[in-house]
Amino acid sequence: MGVVVTTVVETSPATLRERCAELFDDELSPVLRRIGQHRTGAGPDEEDRALRAGVWAALAELGALAPAAGRTADDRVALADVAELMGAALYPSPYAGTVTAAAVAGPGVLAGITAGERTFAVAWHTEGTADPATPGPEWTHGPLSGERRFVAFASEVDELVVPVAAGVAFVPVDQPGVRFRRHDELGRGDLHAVTLGSAHARFVPADPAVLLAGARVRHAAYLAGLARGALELAVARLKDRTAFGGPLAKQQVLAHRVAALASRAAAVLAFARATARRPADDPGLPLAAAQALLLAAELARESAAESVHLHGAAGMTERHDVSLYYRRAAVDVPALGTPRQLRRHAGALLAAAHRRNPSHR
Amino acid sequence: MTVAEFRRRVREVLGNADVRAEVAEIAAYGPDRESGNPRAYRALGEHGLLAPAWPAEYGGLGLGAAEAAVITEELVYAGVPDDAHVLSVDIVGAFLLAAGTERQKAEHLPPLARGERIATVLFTEPGCGSDLTALTTRARREGEGWRLHGTKIYTQKSQFGDVALCAARTTAGPVAMHGITLFLLPLRSAGVHVEPLPGLANDRFSTVLIDGVLLGPEAVVGAVDDGWRLMTDMLQLERTGIDFHAKARRLLDTVVDRAAATGQLDDAELAGRLAELDGAVRAGGTLAWEMVANLDRGTPDPVASAMTKWFVTEQFRPLLAAGADVFGLDGALSVHDEEAPALGQLDAAYRVGPAHRLASGTSEVMLSVVATAGWGLL
Repeated sequence: MGVVVTTVVETSPATLRERCAELFDDELSPVLRRIGQHRTGAGPDEEDRALRAGVWAALAELGALAPAAGRTADDRVALADVAELMGAALYPSPYAGTVTAAAVAGPGVLAGITAGERTFAVAWHTEGTADPATPGPEWTHGPLSGERRFVAFASEVDELVVPVAAGVAFVPVDQPGVRFRRHDELGRGDLHAVTLGSAHARFVPADPAVLLAGARVRHAAYLAGLARGALELAVARLKDRTAFGGPLAKQQVLAHRVAALASRAAAVLAFARATARRPADDPGLPLAAAQALLLAAELARESAAESVHLHGAAGMTERHDVSLYYRRAAVDVPALGTPRQLRRHAGALLAAAHRRNPSHR
Repeated sequence: MTVAEFRRRVREVLGNADVRAEVAEIAAYGPDRESGNPRAYRALGEHGLLAPAWPAEYGGLGLGAAEAAVITEELVYAGVPDDAHVLSVDIVGAFLLAAGTERQKAEHLPPLARGERIATVLFTEPGCGSDLTALTTRARREGEGWRLHGTKIYTQKSQFGDVALCAARTTAGPVAMHGITLFLLPLRSAGVHVEPLPGLANDRFSTVLIDGVLLGPEAVVGAVDDGWRLMTDMLQLERTGIDFHAKARRLLDTVVDRAAATGQLDDAELAGRLAELDGAVRAGGTLAWEMVANLDRGTPDPVASAMTKWFVTEQFRPLLAAGADVFGLDGALSVHDEEAPALGQLDAAYRVGPAHRLASGTSEVMLSVVATAGWGLL
């Protein structure tokens, strides 16, 4: 491993968000969301990878990875805010997996993460219909074998993080026991099927439910951002498009639909940020995280579909980026549990919490 | 005193035997009876707790918007009707604090803060609701004062009120927003007739006929002809949604408690649905508390406030639907039926349900604020 350079930057949520918002501006965002968007099945080329690496380095420079371990409430809110910006820009990156890994990483690995030199992918799914809240296999040592599917950026990261019953397995990808196949999917992203055949792995004890909850909170913020990004494109289109003698933006029925979804996005983001403030040992964290993601998932799904609709048939063409939001919503919404799984999980947690403490107010 | 300590103190007062007896009494009121000025208000007012954000000289404690929000939440959670408090303290009192003369403040605020008087709002008319520029109540100059004629409708608690903040047109002109003035109208004077109108909810609307009441110049709140700006500013800036949030939370808790008590919470599908609603109520509460924090910082955000009021009140329909599923037909039993569960709360909540999306700015007005000021649409 080379010399790790740590950048010292201030990480208050407001300042970090401002800095990153400058990166995800109106000029660069459309470029970022097109990275790797090629003909079906093609995957990212060399140019895509170089661009992606450049943006990642810029993010590290801006301090977007400095709060990755999420030790303070402000750090966790900052991470949610960055995730929201990435959702709005529809920027594909290993940010989610890397930040999740940072929560259980040792000091050396963490320094590599904050410097933007080490990236991770979390293998939440054994199969497409599997619930990520289901505990992983019993494993603490020895070679690790098994199948994982829908692992984001598996072929580009340094290590995989595989949730097991009492922690996680860190699996370096550069070894003969790890094989990939890129999924050809609707979002045209970088999801992979991974086969582990007696792979070398190291065990780190952790509570996978807490890791999942933290990831869900950030993903809720990401999806609130995805909704905002789609709605911003729809609003631009409504202002641009003239029909019935004036801009569509003057039509109350359309404006109200946007306003309603935007209000839901504000509520979801506020809830996700408030939930991010809860520490890992807060017994109410898993329920709030599942609830925030459930609300965010439904919002993102509806906002993407509605934003395509508000474009008219033009929204179904490659000329308009809104179609990318619609595609990505299909794979991003269920990434950490389908809404049905989230609802059931939240229901079980709510019932358990009520049994423990009936006067919950 | 922290906000949490303040909340504990309020709970102590609202937990006393007299307040609890009064809550049970009010919950059992028949269809022709509603609460006016509950004793609970005076129990709080005695300690400066009813209007904690007001300066001590006007009967408050000089605290902030957070403590004011706690009072609203705790009144609702304790089952004390809070509408008269919201009208008197949060709306009329806030108008007077912001725009009243020293004399108006000294005369009206202390008795409102002690819970001894009720102040109400007379804005809506038969020909205007959301669009207040269309109001036709007239105020004509007479000597130094003003003579008022007009009809106000859908007002609440005016049959118990002492004074009302009344909007009337003082100048007619091409710009409808100009020429509206706010007055403090004594409700118990000759020339003011208050007629309650039976309706769905326990609390009735009243029609207020203003028949040539003569007011002195000291009755004007703010500047003459500047009422529309004042109304718009105050209603937009002071809107936090906290009162609606507390009502949503209380209703949901009633439903979840019933589901648990009847074993229905073991049904995964129902539990999931209630958990989703609980998440939405929490999200709304988070937003509402952000609006409270904005007020405390002196940085109110009208667009975010409109989003909050809209989001919080949109939850009532699904909440009532879930309640109807959990309670079944028992939920339709009124408090007068000896078998009514949860003191007939579901029946009462259902009947008042439509009010939340209409009151204090309809859902559509909120969406228009978001669309125009937030997104540059319309």
